[in-house]
Amino acid sequence: MEHLWLVPALPLLGFLVLFLTEGRLPDRVVAVVGAGSVGLAALVALFVGYQFTQSGVASHPQVLWTWMAVGSFAPTVTLHLDSLSLVMMGVVTGVGFLIHLYATGYMWKDHEEPRGYSRFFAYMNLFVFAMLMLVLGDNLLVLFLGWEGVGLCSYLLIGFYHRDGANGYAARKAFVVTRVGDTALALGLFLLFWEVGTLHIQDALDQAAALDKTTVTVICLLLLGGAVGKSAQVPLQTWLPDAMAGPTPVSALIHAATMVTAGVYLIARMQGLYLESADARHVVALVGLVTLLVSSFTALAQTDIKRILAYSTMSQIGYMFMALGVGAWSAAIFHLMTHAFFKALLFLAAGSVILAMHHEQDIFKMGGLRKKLPVPFWSMAIGSLGLMAFPFTSGFFSKDAILLTAWTEAGWLYWGGGVLAAGLTALYTVRMMVITFWGETKTEPHDASHGGFSRTNMWLPLVALCALSIGGGWFGIGVLDDTLGALIEVDSHFSPVALATMAMPILMIGLGWLIFTGRINVQGLVDSAVGRGLRRFFAGGWGFDWVYDRVFVGPFVWFAKANKGDFVDWTYRLTAGVVRATHYVAALTQSGRLRWYAANMAAGLVVLLLFVAGWL
Amino acid sequence: MILLAILLLLAAGVVAWASERFIGANAPRWVSLTAFAAGLAWAAFECWSGAADGLYAAQSFEWIPRFGINVILELDGLSLLLVALTMFLGIVAVVSSWDEMETGHGFFQFNILWVMAGVVGVFTAMDLFLFFFFWEVMLIPMYFLIAIWGHENKGYASMKFFLFTQISGLLMLLAILALVFFTQAATGEVTFGYAALKNAGASLPADVRTWLMLGFFVAFATKLPSVPFHTWLPDAHTQAPTAGSVILAGILLKTGAYGIIRFAVPLFPEASLDFAWWGMLLGAASILYGGVMAFSQSDFKRLVAYSSIAHMGFVLLGVYAFNEQGMQGAVMTMIAHGFSTAALFMMAGALQQRLHTREMSRMGGLWKHAPRMGVMTMFFVVASVGTPGLGNFVGEFLALLGAFKQNVWLAVAATVGIVVAAVYGLHLLQRSFQGEPNPQIEAMDDFGFREMSVMALMMLGLVWLGVYPQPVLEMSAATIAGLGVLP
Repeated sequence: MEHLWLVPALPLLGFLVLFLTEGRLPDRVVAVVGAGSVGLAALVALFVGYQFTQSGVASHPQVLWTWMAVGSFAPTVTLHLDSLSLVMMGVVTGVGFLIHLYATGYMWKDHEEPRGYSRFFAYMNLFVFAMLMLVLGDNLLVLFLGWEGVGLCSYLLIGFYHRDGANGYAARKAFVVTRVGDTALALGLFLLFWEVGTLHIQDALDQAAALDKTTVTVICLLLLGGAVGKSAQVPLQTWLPDAMAGPTPVSALIHAATMVTAGVYLIARMQGLYLESADARHVVALVGLVTLLVSSFTALAQTDIKRILAYSTMSQIGYMFMALGVGAWSAAIFHLMTHAFFKALLFLAAGSVILAMHHEQDIFKMGGLRKKLPVPFWSMAIGSLGLMAFPFTSGFFSKDAILLTAWTEAGWLYWGGGVLAAGLTALYTVRMMVITFWGETKTEPHDASHGGFSRTNMWLPLVALCALSIGGGWFGIGVLDDTLGALIEVDSHFSPVALATMAMPILMIGLGWLIFTGRINVQGLVDSAVGRGLRRFFAGGWGFDWVYDRVFVGPFVWFAKANKGDFVDWTYRLTAGVVRATHYVAALTQSGRLRWYAANMAAGLVVLLLFVAGWL
Repeated sequence: MILLAILLLLAAGVVAWASERFIGANAPRWVSLTAFAAGLAWAAFECWSGAADGLYAAQSFEWIPRFGINVILELDGLSLLLVALTMFLGIVAVVSSWDEMETGHGFFQFNILWVMAGVVGVFTAMDLFLFFFFWEVMLIPMYFLIAIWGHENKGYASMKFFLFTQISGLLMLLAILALVFFTQAATGEVTFGYAALKNAGASLPADVRTWLMLGFFVAFATKLPSVPFHTWLPDAHTQAPTAGSVILAGILLKTGAYGIIRFAVPLFPEASLDFAWWGMLLGAASILYGGVMAFSQSDFKRLVAYSSIAHMGFVLLGVYAFNEQGMQGAVMTMIAHGFSTAALFMMAGALQQRLHTREMSRMGGLWKHAPRMGVMTMFFVVASVGTPGLGNFVGEFLALLGAFKQNVWLAVAATVGIVVAAVYGLHLLQRSFQGEPNPQIEAMDDFGFREMSVMALMMLGLVWLGVYPQPVLEMSAATIAGLGVLP
């Protein structure tokens, strides 16, 4: 396990090589460095993970150096391996490598500047490094380093095609909105430090029970603020749909499989703290439930294939938050993992479709692609099954565990909301699939791959992820039991509740199929006044952007514009003006005319005499 | 050795001025560069040779014994850090203005060297009269730098700079004299010595202490600058030549911060503790107001200038948090800001030299022409928005952490400042280097070896400060403990 440090170090090395050569390497070498560094990291991670599981120890810390020591505040840079970080490390390097491999094909000749290929992989490698620091850090400050680092890379990659101003705007929006959450997170760290005297996670959790309950709740809610921003949960979710401006592999890696789930990881990692505060857990579950429903409805009204997937990501992370809130800790991380498989697959397959469609992303301009793009079609179909929690696919196991725990631990509200959203998930997924792949062909696909090199690189990851989406549910069970608790504690998998949970997606797939292939006519309903209003409301993401623009962005920009000249300076300018005016008046008296001087002297004398007279 | 270093800079100034006439227009900048390199080597040597009793070097001899005025120069950890930064940024300043001047090469370098000589004096003087002397020495050459080589509105800007500094300096002079007289009344001895005055401060009446502390504070807060004494800075920075901006932001602002840490607080610890809430309030206000003002600017250089106000807010916040984390955060912010802002001002200068404008509406998409400059701008913007792993983060995090213990709500307000920093920082990057390339710009030279080597040094510096700040923290820890103000 002494090779653990290599796992983050390899992608960092890849970044440094690409950064220091300033894009002068040939693209093929860039591909090898970019994907190879993450691939090697994945191999080392596999090796270390094997050693770890064989060793039987619960956790393995590797101290690298003392970051800063100021008084009692002395965080070290330490990597910490336990089963939770092992799962995360596996997802980040494993799925990360597959996406990198895919990207070597996807980004080939697909950039607007000569050195774009190298710049892309430099950012991607830096991202993987930061993400690994996030999940391996045993100290909240190291976690925060990774946390901010992935945010930075997310910004850089969303705005990768930076000549289009809209992409830049989306990138800045993502960075700023998540930073609002980061502010809360930072405050949470400050409060935690002054309460327990350390930011070392395990030491802090050990002291959690001794803390004042209100304080614990406040800390938990502040950390939740950070998690909500990073994981695109209500009310800080608005950045994620816009983040789809980035290249599709970026959406797959950062905005589906890894970074956006960091909030889930954070809360799971701080389990000991949340266990002390039922109120905080309740809020976590509520945030999850609300996000789940809001984003599922929103996804129903989207027309952009990537935005559908983005809202679906939000809703799946909503499940994970709900799981954390209701106490299904292992299930949350399990769903995080399976979601990484099937959502990465969906994004990569969608990327292949988009590439074949000349960068068209509107599903209503696609259609009938089933036979013409078989590999992307089957990949998307398999990914969709996972997403819809179709029985015995990977997503089924994890979602089932969440919903059944919600039923036993939190009652019908959370279970019902979750099952309703599962139905909606099936509905919008079928809608996306049917409109994209069935019906008449509206745009003729073209062969977007650039020869054999990129073709294989793009197919291999799809095939691998297909396998994981179907079978990945089997090897996730039981791994986390000793860190986070048992996955599921339900007596019977055949109780009415369990059967209803399982049946919901299947029913809705059927219903969706009938609706979107036109066998049930719902046009009248959709075109009614209420239907149109709802559709507009959902399509606009429930008006969150509208409100934020008016409440925050507008006034801020207005004030900045109005005060460009700095009103504080008026005081000084006024002083200067008064001095100048006095100077002018005084200068007037020096006219050089004798009569004027004599008259003034006389007047002055009179005033003086009057004054003296009055005084006497 | 300290006096020798100051004299070296002063003498180099004269030599540089003369060399233009006797050797050629190229000579002055080489003289300057050599002098700063020698100075940096000296600082490195002092650092390497280690400290005795917390002092890396010390000198003292009589100057005007009748009034208790002596030349006392001491180099402790904090001073050494700042002196090293001064020498390094001297090099940066010379390189960034390498071929910016048309005329007056010799006098230009003379002024740079004399400002820096004054700065080194300020950072090492342990006699209040001597301190004030150096305080004035650095003012006049800076005034000339702006007034002679500045841009379109240099007359206004240089006069404003001069008046603000001079008037606030006058307050400090009055406070120094009053402190000496009150001390004399109490102890019967006339002295300007720092150590003697520091111990005597406690015997003063409480209201006198408060007023004297305020005299010092206003002088330093103006230099720092803090809201509401900040308005000289955007004008001075914008109008100054590149080297002038680099020196102003990188070093001269730090003399204000240094003054607060070395004089305003330790000379009047009780009064400062009573004042702490106001100090933190001004800090938080500077962070937020400076950030919002930075966002509202359309001039590249003016934006960076306002961002300096925001960054210096962290210094105030940290110092008046009255704990070790806060104080160390303040010191770290001073040093990291020296690198990050100097680099951004250098970038502003390079852009102005190439495009003859500072207006961001006339830039856009410059990445296409100059990817290296784009990457550099990105790096230093990322550093200045406080990304972990780079120096500014360590400073800001520690300052906020310290502040949080002292006053939660002011710390919360200041933490919101990191969101504002993201807004203006990314705005700067977007409007200059990203977006659709401006069709009016057909080509632009990228950075060459000379600029890149300086940039690379500053990048390395920030990474080092961000990843392993321990050596720096240890150097300043001894000084901070010696101030005797922390509980």
